[in-house]
Amino acid sequence: MEKVKKKIGSFSFWNWVTASIIFRLILIYFPKNLNLSSRPEVSTPLTSFRRLAEGYWLKQSFMSPYAGSMYHGSPLLLSLLGPLTINRIEGQPNHLLYSLVSVIADVVSAMLIRATGQNLRLAYLRSLESLDLVKQIEVSGDIAALIYLCNPFTIVACVGLSTSPIENMAVILCLYGACSRLIPLAAFGWVIATHLSLYSAILIIPVIFLLGCGPDSPPRKLFLQRHQQKEVLNQSKLPPRFSWGPVIHFAFWAFLWSVYVLVLCGISLKQFGGLWEMFKSTYGFILTVEDLSPNIGVLWYFFAEVFEFFRNFFLIVFHVNILFMILPLAIRLRHRPCYLAFVYVAICSMLKSYPSVGDSALYLGLLGWFVNELADMQFSLFLFCGYVGVSLLSPVMHNLWIWRGTGNANFYFATAMVYACLQIVLVVEGVSAMLNHDRKLRNLITGKPQDAKS
Amino acid sequence: MAETKEKSLSDEKPKPRVRPIVRLGIFLISHSFLVSIVCCTAGVLALFLLPVLAKNTYISENALMPGSASPMLSNQHVSDGNRLVKDLTNPNSKSSETGIESHKIIAQYMLDLGAEVSFHKFHPQMNQFHPLHFFSSPVSGKIQENYSCSSYGINTVGIIRAPRGDGKEAIVLVTPYNALKSGFGEALSLGIAYSVFSLLTQVTWLAKDIIWLVADSQYGEYAAVAAWLREYQTPKFSSLSTPNAEMCPDVNNLFELKGHSISGSKFSNSFRRAGTMAAALVLKVRDQNEQFEDTISIYAEASNGQMPNLDLINVVNYLAVHRQGLRVNVEKLWPLLNSSWLKSLGEIFESLAKVAKSLYPKWKFGIPATEYVEGTATLASSLYYQALGVPTGPHGAFRDYQVDAITLEISPKFSLDKVWRNDILLRGGRLIEGVIRSVNNLLEKFHQSFFLYLLTSPSKFVSVGVYMIAFALLIAPLPMVAASLYVDANSSSNCSKGDSSTPSAITDTDEHGIAIRSWRWLNSAKLVFIVHLWGAIVSLLPYFISQIPDCSPTTSFMIWVLLSILSLLTLNSVLASPLACAKATQEKEWALVKSVTISSVFIGLGLMSVINFATAEIGALLMVPMCLLARPLKLDVRAGTLRSFCRLICNLVLGHIAFPPAAFFLLKGMLDGFGNANVGDFWMWVESLWAWNSATYLFIGMVQLPCWVLCVSILFHTC
Repeated sequence: MEKVKKKIGSFSFWNWVTASIIFRLILIYFPKNLNLSSRPEVSTPLTSFRRLAEGYWLKQSFMSPYAGSMYHGSPLLLSLLGPLTINRIEGQPNHLLYSLVSVIADVVSAMLIRATGQNLRLAYLRSLESLDLVKQIEVSGDIAALIYLCNPFTIVACVGLSTSPIENMAVILCLYGACSRLIPLAAFGWVIATHLSLYSAILIIPVIFLLGCGPDSPPRKLFLQRHQQKEVLNQSKLPPRFSWGPVIHFAFWAFLWSVYVLVLCGISLKQFGGLWEMFKSTYGFILTVEDLSPNIGVLWYFFAEVFEFFRNFFLIVFHVNILFMILPLAIRLRHRPCYLAFVYVAICSMLKSYPSVGDSALYLGLLGWFVNELADMQFSLFLFCGYVGVSLLSPVMHNLWIWRGTGNANFYFATAMVYACLQIVLVVEGVSAMLNHDRKLRNLITGKPQDAKS
Repeated sequence: MAETKEKSLSDEKPKPRVRPIVRLGIFLISHSFLVSIVCCTAGVLALFLLPVLAKNTYISENALMPGSASPMLSNQHVSDGNRLVKDLTNPNSKSSETGIESHKIIAQYMLDLGAEVSFHKFHPQMNQFHPLHFFSSPVSGKIQENYSCSSYGINTVGIIRAPRGDGKEAIVLVTPYNALKSGFGEALSLGIAYSVFSLLTQVTWLAKDIIWLVADSQYGEYAAVAAWLREYQTPKFSSLSTPNAEMCPDVNNLFELKGHSISGSKFSNSFRRAGTMAAALVLKVRDQNEQFEDTISIYAEASNGQMPNLDLINVVNYLAVHRQGLRVNVEKLWPLLNSSWLKSLGEIFESLAKVAKSLYPKWKFGIPATEYVEGTATLASSLYYQALGVPTGPHGAFRDYQVDAITLEISPKFSLDKVWRNDILLRGGRLIEGVIRSVNNLLEKFHQSFFLYLLTSPSKFVSVGVYMIAFALLIAPLPMVAASLYVDANSSSNCSKGDSSTPSAITDTDEHGIAIRSWRWLNSAKLVFIVHLWGAIVSLLPYFISQIPDCSPTTSFMIWVLLSILSLLTLNSVLASPLACAKATQEKEWALVKSVTISSVFIGLGLMSVINFATAEIGALLMVPMCLLARPLKLDVRAGTLRSFCRLICNLVLGHIAFPPAAFFLLKGMLDGFGNANVGDFWMWVESLWAWNSATYLFIGMVQLPCWVLCVSILFHTC
């Protein structure tokens, strides 16, 4: 995962990009041996390729694609990707076209991550300059892009024919648009990401901060202190205050795009129950956790155990869990909207009802943006080993439970819990490392000895 | 900002508030040397204590009710069985060169009882190397090969439909039989099975169908059973499949002929099925026997150390001992029985138990020394066969489809008079009848009792909860030592760099422009990753080497070694070249490499303990001391104290022992004597491992070998 970082020194960026693409293509040619598309880690009820094909088939035979509780994705995906599920080229592996689309989505995401990372780096350099600190910093965009491309999770999600590469691309598009102040693009990305997977909706907060005050920078207070010391208040060097103009602009575009998407969906589902049917079997399916087949999350086990009587109560508890964390994090990290977005994505992938490795791939990729800030993160080796261990142990436990019959559901759930804990440690340590970084900058400016510690 | 741990270690003055769990961690890490010695000794001791801690087996599933009904197998059935034995051993029946006559006889006997009979023709399938087989389902398609008509086997299958059942469940009885050169034992096993079968056609209590499979063992017992099971569990729907046995003309002729000669409408040419299998029993009778009483041996290990549910063994053991008066045996590692050190260890435990009992009478955990030695020998063999991952009999094929199965091998005290033969038929038959009746009572699959256990005698077992403690103690030092090395390496570099750090703390850079302190381990992680990648390549190489025609084991082994070394050098030069310069700059590099190595070994062992506990335990015994002790030889030589000298010796010895081929030869030498050791043996052993898809093979290739290479590279590190 993070291993790529060091390799950049000696190998050029593009070599690694090509290598990762070639690796994907090789894996695509041996799909039968790997059988990745049926693994619970890769394909959830929302992202499964087989369900997509089923939905398309239902639609082609003039039935509602949501009949039989098979398909739970967007109707737009059916129209765009559906034809690829049945098109075959003679002599080539099945689903080659679809796999190629996933590969392209991955590459595009990586390029967008790179561009955003360069943006962030420029912003960081600018703010350091205005604080009169010199620092040699990493090319975080390249690192982040390579982490995203070479991450085994991304590769597995891509080769396993899940739709998460496309969902991830929408999220990254949104962040890219917001960082480069392309407001219509950001709005488009946000609307599509929310449409594909409900949880991306909370990204609206980082996007608003991004549009309102620009990309990540040290806290505003710091600049003021710095300039008070020098006793020259240079307004041009200060980061801009929050401006409402772009936000209203964004809201307008978001409204426009969502109306557009809803109209398209309405047209495609005209005979099959309309939009209400869509909301019920996409968002409703996500929120009520109807499918309790095992996945790498923790909700399936809990809701398999819970009494029907309390089900609604716990559904509310679990979903509010995410909402609870939004506000405190937004207040604490408001000066770093991109980092805020990373934290939100990580929290969502931990608490969402049908998580897959594709979600982890996204936040691990975004983590690469902050290599400079997180240089002193604690427990990095522990986290790395934990991720490696869990991603190896989880399929073994699944095998033990399902195929050998010697284990039981608790075995598999144990790895899911460990995985959730790892993600929690990652988020907690990441946030505290970021806050420490800010504190360190403040100490450097005010000249205090650096012993501050949470 | 420095890490909390380092902080508390390096500078005392502000003393930041540390969470208790972190403080505990720091305490353990700072005393990691002591902790690791205590934990490792305790782990080895706990392993030797397992025979003492073994519990008596008990029947956990109430529905089984073994022995609650009196056996119904009478002398009438025994004489039926005797008739079959006589017919089969009759020299006339062996006239045909393919042994078809005897299959015909068996089929005719089954038909006479009113069973449904069919023949299953199969081609023996060579075991092949499937690197990814472990994670896929057993069903996932195997590649069909071109068959020749020259070699095929015939399984005879008889099915009794249960009068009370719904046909959804079945019990399987397997008797391997080689029609070409059958011994008397095989005929006798058929006789026992037949007498039970003839009883079961008459009884009214049967709720599950009974399948009697006479497996044609001329290509091996396992192959025949596995072929039948594959056909049973994965029906082929396409009629245009690759040419199989039905296409061969002489086979077709045979079955046309059969259709004429065999009377009865219940004979069918198509494959017959019953319900899902609740359990399977493989019955064998051994030809020669040196025992003085009738004994029955139980073989239970299936592939990758999987065991059938303990209840199945319990039922057999209970009925054999308490109802039929047979002695029950499980496999022992014979050389251990005579070892004196084990005996003295047993005596020590015994006397300790006596002392404990005199102190507090309720402590009763001691077992006699002889029993201890026997328990240890059984436990060792249990560990050994599970660790090999190769099934010990045809029952292994059933476990791949989640069917609980065991092999029962009856070894009668040999004599040829008729009374004795009737007696063995009666007792063996009653035992089988009792087991089938118990299983027949089952309402669900076997699930009550243990799947993960080690046997120390037929009626004693060590459950997963107990033996995992020994393993956990053994590997517990690994993460601690890894953490302590990691912290040491980081803090030492911090001290050297971080003193003059006010504004430059942010900007500390070395030649490469990369100085991310807490990410320094990435370099070592890269090395470890490369070596593991190499391990994967080495494990894949035999697949290609085995394609070379006419290669003796010794030359194959040599090619393997050469290619492995070559690939290591290539990988090192292609991927790891920047590492060499990075290594030179950091003096504590080896500590980080060791830390990451230990972490990877910990992950590997933990993973393996879930897949196959026995392999992980044996691997841990070899690898844990090596990993923990590894330290550059140069440093030890330079230090020149007694302690470092001891460590040097230990390192050198462990470095030799832990090399997988060396470990293999050592073990083999200990068991069979060093006289006939041959380099090719290792290749043969490895080949058998991968032919059976044993996870042990992957473990050796991808965990143990890389670990050994990394440890050796640490030993020869230039610092």
